[in-house]
Amino acid sequence: MSDVLLPVAIALPLVAATLPLALGLKYERAGWPVAAVATTALAGLATAIGVEVARNGPLSHALGTYEPPIGIELVADELSVAVLALVAAVSLATLAFARVAGPRGNSFYSGYLLLVGGLTGLVLTGDLFNMFVFLEIVGISTYALIAADRSGASAYASLKYLVVGTVGASLYLLGVGYAFLATGTLNMLDMQVQIVEQASYADPLIRASYALIVAGLGLKIAVFPIHAWQPDAYQRAPDAVTTIVAALVSTASAYALIRVSYTVFTVDFLAANDAITTVMLIVAGASILAGSALAAMQSDLKRMFAYSSVAQFGMIVAAVALANETALLGGIVHLVGHGLLKFGLFLGIGLLALGYGARELDDLASAARSAPYTAGAVALLGLGLVGIPPSIGFLGKWYIGVGAVEASLDGGDPAGIGIAAVIFVSTLFTLSYVARVIERFYFAGVGLSDGHGEGDHGDGHDEDGHGDDGHQDAHGTGVAADGGREPAAAAGSGTESDAPLTPVEGAPRSRFVPDRVPSAPLVILVLAALATVALGFAGYALFEWFDPFLTEVFA
Amino acid sequence: MNSVLTSVPPYVLLAVAALAVLALPRRLGHAAAALATAFTFVQAVLLDDGGTGAHLATQLFGFDVVFFNVDQFSLLMGVVVGFLATAAVLYAYGTEAPTWVTAFALIYVSSTVATIYAGDWLTLIFFWELMAVTSTLLVWQYGGEAVRAGYRYALFHGIGGTFFLGAVVVHGASMLGSVPAAEIFLFSSTTGIHASATLLAAIGIGINCGFIFLHTWLPDTYPRPHVAASVFLSVFTTKTAAYVMYRAFPEGGMWLAYLGGFMAVYGAFFALLQYNPRRLLSYHIQAQLGYMLAGFGLATYVGEFAVTGGFAHLFNNVLYKSLLFMAVGVVIYRTGVEDIRDMGGLWRVMPVTFLVYLVGAASITAVPGFNGFISKGMVIDSAHEVHNYELLFGEGLLWWLLILGGVGTFMSFIKLGYYMFFHGSATLSPKDATPFQTAGMLLAGGACVFFGTPFTYGYLIDLMPFTAEVASELHPYSTSHLTESAWLMGAGFVGFFALKRPLGWLAHRMPDADAVTYPAVFYLARGSIWGVTELWAAVDRAVMNAVAAVEWTAMHPREALGRAGVDVEIRTGIGRSVLFLTLAAGVALFVFVLG
Repeated sequence: MSDVLLPVAIALPLVAATLPLALGLKYERAGWPVAAVATTALAGLATAIGVEVARNGPLSHALGTYEPPIGIELVADELSVAVLALVAAVSLATLAFARVAGPRGNSFYSGYLLLVGGLTGLVLTGDLFNMFVFLEIVGISTYALIAADRSGASAYASLKYLVVGTVGASLYLLGVGYAFLATGTLNMLDMQVQIVEQASYADPLIRASYALIVAGLGLKIAVFPIHAWQPDAYQRAPDAVTTIVAALVSTASAYALIRVSYTVFTVDFLAANDAITTVMLIVAGASILAGSALAAMQSDLKRMFAYSSVAQFGMIVAAVALANETALLGGIVHLVGHGLLKFGLFLGIGLLALGYGARELDDLASAARSAPYTAGAVALLGLGLVGIPPSIGFLGKWYIGVGAVEASLDGGDPAGIGIAAVIFVSTLFTLSYVARVIERFYFAGVGLSDGHGEGDHGDGHDEDGHGDDGHQDAHGTGVAADGGREPAAAAGSGTESDAPLTPVEGAPRSRFVPDRVPSAPLVILVLAALATVALGFAGYALFEWFDPFLTEVFA
Repeated sequence: MNSVLTSVPPYVLLAVAALAVLALPRRLGHAAAALATAFTFVQAVLLDDGGTGAHLATQLFGFDVVFFNVDQFSLLMGVVVGFLATAAVLYAYGTEAPTWVTAFALIYVSSTVATIYAGDWLTLIFFWELMAVTSTLLVWQYGGEAVRAGYRYALFHGIGGTFFLGAVVVHGASMLGSVPAAEIFLFSSTTGIHASATLLAAIGIGINCGFIFLHTWLPDTYPRPHVAASVFLSVFTTKTAAYVMYRAFPEGGMWLAYLGGFMAVYGAFFALLQYNPRRLLSYHIQAQLGYMLAGFGLATYVGEFAVTGGFAHLFNNVLYKSLLFMAVGVVIYRTGVEDIRDMGGLWRVMPVTFLVYLVGAASITAVPGFNGFISKGMVIDSAHEVHNYELLFGEGLLWWLLILGGVGTFMSFIKLGYYMFFHGSATLSPKDATPFQTAGMLLAGGACVFFGTPFTYGYLIDLMPFTAEVASELHPYSTSHLTESAWLMGAGFVGFFALKRPLGWLAHRMPDADAVTYPAVFYLARGSIWGVTELWAAVDRAVMNAVAAVEWTAMHPREALGRAGVDVEIRTGIGRSVLFLTLAAGVALFVFVLG
């Protein structure tokens, strides 16, 4: 009977999504408590599912009275449990931040729960068309959430995502349609069998189907060059929305790609179609490089880490296309690890924006002095993103890299070495932008009132306009070149701002820490940072956990 | 007995004595120093042939090293260095040398003795470099003009040491394969230094030997420090260099012999032009080293006789050269005058010093009855057998060079003695040498006489290597030698008084090599430092500008494009996004289906 957990886990947030609107007729602030209860319950369900899978192996449940392959099947195996755990944890944790950072209002929490329900369904479904439905639920609720603060910029970002997201989802649907034509089934496991029986791996219909599905999911994942919606969406969305969207939405789409590629089309299909994997590897490599380079060019913090996601998902796509066990393990670990890292990073950035009004790299001067715990956690997460052990960020990248080299050594295909090289270059880029953040945190800053800092900045940079409101949008975008050597080419392009981080008016105080940020999200941020480090030691446990899935896929 | 003696490396005692000089009261400290140096002497005498062997052999960095290598050559060096150092310590005590001078001098002697007793190139190069450091300290201690001269000295020896170190490395690398890897640096593994390291070794050791054009540090440095320090300096660095030269090239070579011949003439000629007494003596160091190198250079062509001649001359030179520095030092110490033209008539007021000077001068000019006569005669006899480039009287070029050097030596010591002790009326009336100065000088002077008389010169040969082979051939007091000596003296007397005026004229106009090399090195160094600094600054500017430009372009891509004349929107809007997506799907379809 434990398979009932699966439909309950999906239904719970979806049903709960109606409650804020319904209760909103009577209670103005019904949204948050409802969402909190629902996500807590979801976390409980996810735990129960996880325990069940750990004990008895994969769970499946046929919806209604229709047995698969006709009816819709829900499945939970090791892979989906891992992503489900991430979904449950992040959606619960983000609530703590949304409570203080907004957006407020019951409709927001309805959208929020709809998103969580969509993600849960996406992760648990065993049916290709059902997957499209949940993909659309996720998409639509995301469009709504991005525009939740009703600003012009976020409306545009939302519209952009809506248009291209819809096209992308349509491509996916088209792909599913082709596959249905070729096989006459929509159930994933059944289609895996039918592709061989009724068609073949070389069948143009099957290949076209995979092409369309990959293109559609590629857009949702945001790989270069179809990533353009993603930086805008992440940057313009309200901070709490960015936190959950960045951690989960692309992650769920990448999960879908892994699921479709390995459960439906299987590794044999990939092996039989070299051209497909080659193109995917090229796109993934381009994505890794372009994402890292673009991230390094940004001065807006959210945009910087948005581009960083383009690079990280490039690695995951590469892991899928490499089609070997080590690389896929790395891809899955990186999928979950990256979700956790980005959750923490965007939460940290959101907290700094909330407490200090800091949104740009230049605003962060001396953040480690005024907000040591927040800055420390962000620095730790950033180093994890670079891939410095011990961190889950290191594990994922490491396995992908090793898998890439293995693929080259086994098959003599140079693409693997190329991917490994690209990952290395990307790591350098990542280091460069993370190092800029850390440099601002720990080394930049003048004119601190307690007599620390450098005092005068040598060549007489004007400390214009710092202090009162903490955040100035009018900052020049001068770079943090040290030593006060004004770049000749940048002369006149604005001065470098070394005004230290100052809290906004009314920023919360805490008795325990000097950080002027809300306590509950801060605790979660620190926990998240520590969790990424702790998971860095769990390499073998992760391998053990995913081993059944990998064994089945590569059988 | 021997086993006890060979377990005590004398240089450790000397180093301890150097500390004792600093720690103890002056009198006690100098007593300890004299005891340590005397021990070095006595130990070498007692060890004699019975103690030969590689003692204190161990391994360092995986290489076999020998810290106390006793053979005929190192023993003879130990005897004379220990003896002379004892005399010099007494002299230093009598000259009111500050305790720091004696301490530095002792640590310098210690490193010298360690170099002498080294049994492998690794140990040798280590103590060789240490010798350069300690001697520089000894020069610097005096302050004033000695500081700049000390810098030049340090530069010379730093460069020389680096060359020699290179030679040792090349030697080691070349030895690999022919002997077990641990033994590549041992003296016992080869004869001399490996052929591939010849040039490096020749230059490295040659700087310390005062090769022509590499010698300018010699007259530059030695006149400047404390007079007692000069006594130490004059003896150890150059003579150890000659000894190491023999270690490196035991088979000699005509290049070395001729170089020695030219050094004898060059040094004597420039000595002749000097008026600063210690500077004059310094040039003579170069000249006398020329005789030693000539002897070593003929090792193969002539044989053991020449080598023994070279070593005998080395041995004697240590005695009489320090004796001369002591005598001149006494005069300077008593009068404070450093120009011999300002002296004169001193023989009446400083009879002891005058006598000592006479002994030293007679020794260095090879007057019969003094030790220089024996050893220089041996070298000239060896050169007699060389008949390349025959000149007058059927004698070869080398012989003539050595004879000419001898005449020049004669002339310059007549000059030195004449100006110091005679020459006009006495304007100064200083006291004579102090008792301890006298004691030191008597020790050195006594040895000069002892090893020179017709009755006792055999002891000198006993101390030398190849005694058995050489003793039978050696007849220093034969008629021909005495005649030769007489001619030499005659020529010297006549030459000096005939050429006194032209020499005086020349003295003001004749620059040594340093007139060219010092400014050249200075401006070259300044130029290269300026060049390197400016080049680095230019590289730095270029890199920083490039980085700044790249950074700015990356941060302002739109503006950068605008400056390049391309005014486009580079952000991807909704329309373009859809276009890209469609294209991507199209490409994917195309490739996936047809691929």
